[in-house]
Amino acid sequence: MAKRVLVVDDAIFMRNMIKDIFASGGFEVVGEAANGLEAVEKFKEFKPDLTTMDIVMPFKSGIEATREIIKQDSSAVVIMCSALGQESLVMEAIEAGASDFIVKPFRAEDVLAVVKKVLGEV
Amino acid sequence: MTMDMSRYLGLFISEASEHLEALSRDLVQLEREGSSSAVDSMFRHAHSVKGMASSMGFEPIAILAHRVEDLVDAVRQDRSRLDRDLVDLLLSSADALLAQVRAVADNKEPAEATALLQQLSARVTTITGHAPATTRVARVTVLKPAATTDAAAEPPANPEPAAAAKAPEASAPAPDETTRPPGAKSAPADPRPGSSAGGLTSGAGAEAGAAAREPRPAESLAHDVAARPAPGLELSGGLQAAAGGALASKPEGEARAPLQRWAVQLRIAPTCQVPGVRAFLVHKRLTTLGTLLDLRPALEELKAGRIPDGYIQVELETSVGDTGIHSALRNVAEVEVVSVKAAVAAPAPAPPAAAAPDSARASAEAGGSRTVRVRTELLDYFLDTVGELMLATARLREVGKVLPENARPELEEGVYRLHTLVKDLHDKVMSARMTPLSLITDRLPRAARDLARRKEREVDLVITGAEIELDRAILDELADPLLHLLRNCIDHGLEAPEERLAAKKGSRGRVLVAVRRARDRVIVEIEDDGRGMDPAKLKAAAVTRGLLAPEAAARLTDREAFLLSCLPGVSTAKDVTDISGRGVGMDAVKRVVESVGGTLEIDSERGRGTRFTLRLPLTVAVVHLLLVEVGDEVFGLPIAKVVGATEADGETLSRSRETALLPHGNGLLPVHALDALLGVPAPVRRGLRPFVVMDGDSGKVALAVDRLLGQEEVVLKPLSRPLDLLPGLSGVTILGSGRPVFILDVPRLLSA
Amino acid sequence: MRHVIFRVEKERYGLPLSAVREVVVPPARFTLVPRAPPAITGVMNLRGRVVTVVELRQLLNLPEGPTPPARVVLLDRGRRDLGLLVTDVDGIEAVERISTAPGRVTPAVRGVARLGGLGVTVLEPEGLDAAVVALFTPSK
Repeated sequence: MAKRVLVVDDAIFMRNMIKDIFASGGFEVVGEAANGLEAVEKFKEFKPDLTTMDIVMPFKSGIEATREIIKQDSSAVVIMCSALGQESLVMEAIEAGASDFIVKPFRAEDVLAVVKKVLGEV
Repeated sequence: MTMDMSRYLGLFISEASEHLEALSRDLVQLEREGSSSAVDSMFRHAHSVKGMASSMGFEPIAILAHRVEDLVDAVRQDRSRLDRDLVDLLLSSADALLAQVRAVADNKEPAEATALLQQLSARVTTITGHAPATTRVARVTVLKPAATTDAAAEPPANPEPAAAAKAPEASAPAPDETTRPPGAKSAPADPRPGSSAGGLTSGAGAEAGAAAREPRPAESLAHDVAARPAPGLELSGGLQAAAGGALASKPEGEARAPLQRWAVQLRIAPTCQVPGVRAFLVHKRLTTLGTLLDLRPALEELKAGRIPDGYIQVELETSVGDTGIHSALRNVAEVEVVSVKAAVAAPAPAPPAAAAPDSARASAEAGGSRTVRVRTELLDYFLDTVGELMLATARLREVGKVLPENARPELEEGVYRLHTLVKDLHDKVMSARMTPLSLITDRLPRAARDLARRKEREVDLVITGAEIELDRAILDELADPLLHLLRNCIDHGLEAPEERLAAKKGSRGRVLVAVRRARDRVIVEIEDDGRGMDPAKLKAAAVTRGLLAPEAAARLTDREAFLLSCLPGVSTAKDVTDISGRGVGMDAVKRVVESVGGTLEIDSERGRGTRFTLRLPLTVAVVHLLLVEVGDEVFGLPIAKVVGATEADGETLSRSRETALLPHGNGLLPVHALDALLGVPAPVRRGLRPFVVMDGDSGKVALAVDRLLGQEEVVLKPLSRPLDLLPGLSGVTILGSGRPVFILDVPRLLSA
Repeated sequence: MRHVIFRVEKERYGLPLSAVREVVVPPARFTLVPRAPPAITGVMNLRGRVVTVVELRQLLNLPEGPTPPARVVLLDRGRRDLGLLVTDVDGIEAVERISTAPGRVTPAVRGVARLGGLGVTVLEPEGLDAAVVALFTPSK
């Protein structure tokens, strides 16, 4: 069964790109969220196998959202979507419970490699 | 597998443009009010644009956005850094970015903003004390071949040739086919102490992954789960445990290994872009297994990414055994376990795991209803098609009228049902097209600021009612006219501060943009409290330019005289500045407003100010027409412009030179024969004939027609090429009879 | 390539089949287009679409003839609707080996070919389109 993914990013552009990457890797994107608040809600709703989380977002940052998601479900797999220059933020997110991270600009194979590794599919 | 980025181009253009417009808006707001939310949102906008542009491989855009992000970040940390020059610089940058995005939309390479970049870098360096970081950009070619992309800034460690990126490999790995870097090969049961690092330089990167693709040993996953070590919580087990990472795992079953010391050597893949973060993640995973006795390089060094050749040595005391260590790191990408060797064992209890989870309450409801983006052309297509459906329905009804009596009810019932459905669909399409006026008014504060700064005026711009919605097509048309009216207010309307003080006004001028709904119209008023307009001067200017006879000028009311400013070449302003001199003139403003079925009124009082009032229909699609017959042809006149109709004997009318004059109210109106105006053959008429009185550009006019056919509400179709090249036609429609009928733009007909 | 073959009086013309949407009988009356150049016959309603119809004879500056035009060849130009009024349509034929037309070259003419021993002038859809637009743009 295809792994279920929640995609969180405030840019539709990024969400679409990530969704396409997951689709190409045989994943099922079950939901998407445009900010941290929505991310926590959608996580509760969908209980995804994996969540990709942008860091800089309106209303609630990806780090806060990750912290809340991990609080809800400590086994949640949250992958941070980061850019170069956000190293300290990513470390903060790892402290908050993020499982791994990917670095923008994304390349499909890099993203899938990280995700599959995290999900123990390699 | 390389992604075909070109399909994201449209989304990139629209979303990046939105971010950049919002960035400018935030800047103006920030400068005015100093709100901190504006800085945060500015940062997000710049950051988003950088991310998107770098994904698309648009290096110049990504770099510029990155610099802006840096500067905004600096402002975020210390608001006092924001001065006027910085705002100007950021605004110019936002403009330059928008221009770059537009270039991309035209399939051109975005220009390098070298001068701006230098200024931005200089500011970043003076503020932060260090030079800005480099920007990473994906190596993709999105634009069509004519413009070659040279936006390749892959990290130097990655020796991937450009060709690899250019040849899109359509086949994604099938779900069961997994990528497996060599480092992960060592199975849990096989710690392989001292296994060499040979062949590992290819690392966990994707290029290596593709080479190392091989079927996964069936038992390995199951093994992982069973052997999954770590203290702490009970897991739901199965796949989820495997997916859960080492953070919250726990040894399963009774088989707890004794506490033991292990020397672990790891290597961060050389392709890893952020080895510091990677190392931190590894560190975090290992600490959940037990006690870290030694770490080289030290944590601070690791976090900073100072890891010689990527090698990390760890001494770890844990009860999970070497298999546990392997599986804890198994699902961390870009890390290779070089060796796990037994060190001296020491009896010590494992530390407790992280805090137990609280049942978290998610704080607020997010987002609301689901929305999707639809291209404007698609909306146009929907409207067009629904219009055709309406016409087809009207046609069916007409056809039904000639059927025998007994056959009619069934058809009529069907037509009625169809009509209702189509009407409902039309309403839905129309509401989908409704867009708040803020789409265009949001740009005004920025424009007002720039105009005021250039003219050294002080302006308060107040916008109300921008949430009111209008048809997208009207909004698109209205953007430039609205900007021109604002320009007119600031440039010509408002006085210089000293002149205002002399006139006992506050030194700051005020421009009010007020939008409101009045039944089926939207009224937009743009009002300044400046010097006002002089009707006598306008009349004189129009007469001097030969646009108006002196007698006609004398007859004009003040309101009519103000509208003379909309004639090409008439303006009361003494100075022609670059501000008023570019873009659309008042004549264009009036034409555009009328072309969407609206009207423009001007009120002004000397010394008190000027108000432009735009009355706009909510939608463009449906117009009310007066249908008139000329010869064998039928034409539609927009009811909005029709003042009245009357009958008179054309032969008995008085004349001024060649022009017949029709008595109307207290005056005489110039008469135009519509047949001659349109070049339609029509027999000479004697005796009484109808005249339609309409609003023209310089006062009312009378049109001689052959017959009035009545009013009709019709669906307007835009004119397609080549018909749109003809002056004097504003659209076409198809009547219920199936006959196409042109809708006339009388002022342009008279002027052309 | 398959072409739609039609005539203006006795002269035969061809357009690639892919450039032709359909062939229809002209309506009893066209709606006159005010101030349009004389080559524009008018507009017609084709199932709810307003199609501008141009008389091919005038567009190509051919002399007037005795036969009333009996067909409209509708070009497939996306959502831009343009019809050519012609004397009649002969059918669809494969036209190969198009050679450059002798004499003055116009953008509306792609070249000439032989079909069943007779000459056919092959038209260029883009060029026709441009020629129609040019009618509306007065040369200064």
